[in-house]
Amino acid sequence: MSRTLAVARMQLINKWTYIGWPLTILAASFLMSLAIFALIPVTEGKNGGGSQAPLWYFLVLGIQSMTLAFPFSQGLSISRRAFYLGTLGLFSLIALGMTVLYMVGGVLEKATNGWGVYGYFFNIPWVTDGPWYSTAAFFFVVMMFMFIIGFWFATIFKRWGTSGTLVSTLGTAIALIGLAALTTLLQGWGYVGNWFAQQTPLSISGWAAVLCVVLAAGSYTTLRRATP
Amino acid sequence: MNHTIVEARNLIKRYKDLNALDNVNLSLTANRIYGLLGRNGAGKTTLMSILTAQAFATSGEALVFGANAYENDAVLSRICFIRESQKYPDDFQPQHAFRSAALFYKNWDQGFADRLAEDFQLPVKRRIKKLSRGQLSAVGVIIGLASRAELTFFDEPYLGLDAVARQLFYDRLVEDYSEHPRTIILSSHLIDEVANLLEHVVVIDRGTIIMDANAEEIRGSAVTVSGSAEKVDAFLAGRRILHRETLGSLASVTVDEVLSGRERTEAQELGLELSPVSLQQLVVRKTMAGAGATGTGSGDFARDTMEARR
Repeated sequence: MSRTLAVARMQLINKWTYIGWPLTILAASFLMSLAIFALIPVTEGKNGGGSQAPLWYFLVLGIQSMTLAFPFSQGLSISRRAFYLGTLGLFSLIALGMTVLYMVGGVLEKATNGWGVYGYFFNIPWVTDGPWYSTAAFFFVVMMFMFIIGFWFATIFKRWGTSGTLVSTLGTAIALIGLAALTTLLQGWGYVGNWFAQQTPLSISGWAAVLCVVLAAGSYTTLRRATP
Repeated sequence: MNHTIVEARNLIKRYKDLNALDNVNLSLTANRIYGLLGRNGAGKTTLMSILTAQAFATSGEALVFGANAYENDAVLSRICFIRESQKYPDDFQPQHAFRSAALFYKNWDQGFADRLAEDFQLPVKRRIKKLSRGQLSAVGVIIGLASRAELTFFDEPYLGLDAVARQLFYDRLVEDYSEHPRTIILSSHLIDEVANLLEHVVVIDRGTIIMDANAEEIRGSAVTVSGSAEKVDAFLAGRRILHRETLGSLASVTVDEVLSGRERTEAQELGLELSPVSLQQLVVRKTMAGAGATGTGSGDFARDTMEARR
């Protein structure tokens, strides 16, 4: 247990990687969005997509934790299990912290009528329309998803190299296209559309969480045989 | 005190078209400095990776502290193996790497790490990505030394280090080892430089252990006899010859045997000159002799090569 905790602490030794940079990216994106909102002379609510900016950095962090932090952890004789649990724990912690930040931002944003310029950065149509726990669940799961998908692809790469990554990416694409073709063939798009229309942010979070768990479990089985 | 802490049994590591390890059996005892010598690609790093569970054997067994190291925290916490091509997190500076090591090694000595960083003139606040090859090696050397792990591997630790830094490493290693005995495995192909440090030598070539002996024994185990070719050949007839060089009518022949006192006197009476063989020469000769006699056991190769010359 203490070694698992130490894995998380190890990756926080340089505060910039997991804390400094996400906050910097968020702040920069927020200020730029605000400047743009202020330039648009409309008194109706304005929405921007800038709040997704840190998510892409999380994808990179997910990849790097596998390609760089994992080999380093092997050098310090850390078991793969401790590395996995510690890193995933760290992801959860960061996602949780960011979710809290987004929620607080959302409350402030509403209280100040969109920061005085009718600009909405943390409030996103549909996503933040439901109760607070639905919004929180959505933010948290999406952030975790970005970490885990990066981590998962990187484990595939570490284990099976470029060809393995290519095969799994192409395989996923082919499976999705096949699924789409099947839907067309069975004239099922109406049902699919209906299904999506019925989803709420909370149920989407639920599905994404299931996908996260599957990918996380998959990463672990791959990681157990990965070499640095 | 001197119990076995590393044991490899019939280790085989097979890649697509070669056997990186070909039935390796090895047993290492506690509190000694081992040299793991061999050419590039001989299997040194593969062997160390498998022992430390960083890589997996195709078959065979690797026991460290009596158990398989794989996912075994009790064993892993006593091992340190920074590889020659060690990777570090992207934003890490040497000071971050040292603080990480401090989290995992209970005997970590930060003061020692600081002194070493000063010795090696390592910029501890520069991103590791930006360090030169020598400075990168210094990071690994410092982690290996300051972690004071019971079983420490150094994987060609001198790459890119200048002569002064290499000497510093050897000196610090010996000093710290005498104060804090532990088992050190030094993989190297700069054999002459490390020869004096080593208490036991393991030579690996093309996945096979071709020498596994006490350093003291090895030092006297071979001799070079030189003089007139005729006399040298007559004197050494029937012996295990490792290498033969001729210059005109003179010959210089290295034999893989110990000469008795009587034989030495006899050689002197014949006007032959006897000279000791350095560890490096011995390893080179044995490796090359082995390469010349593919398919035969290591005991017979010398005779084969000698016959081939006649």
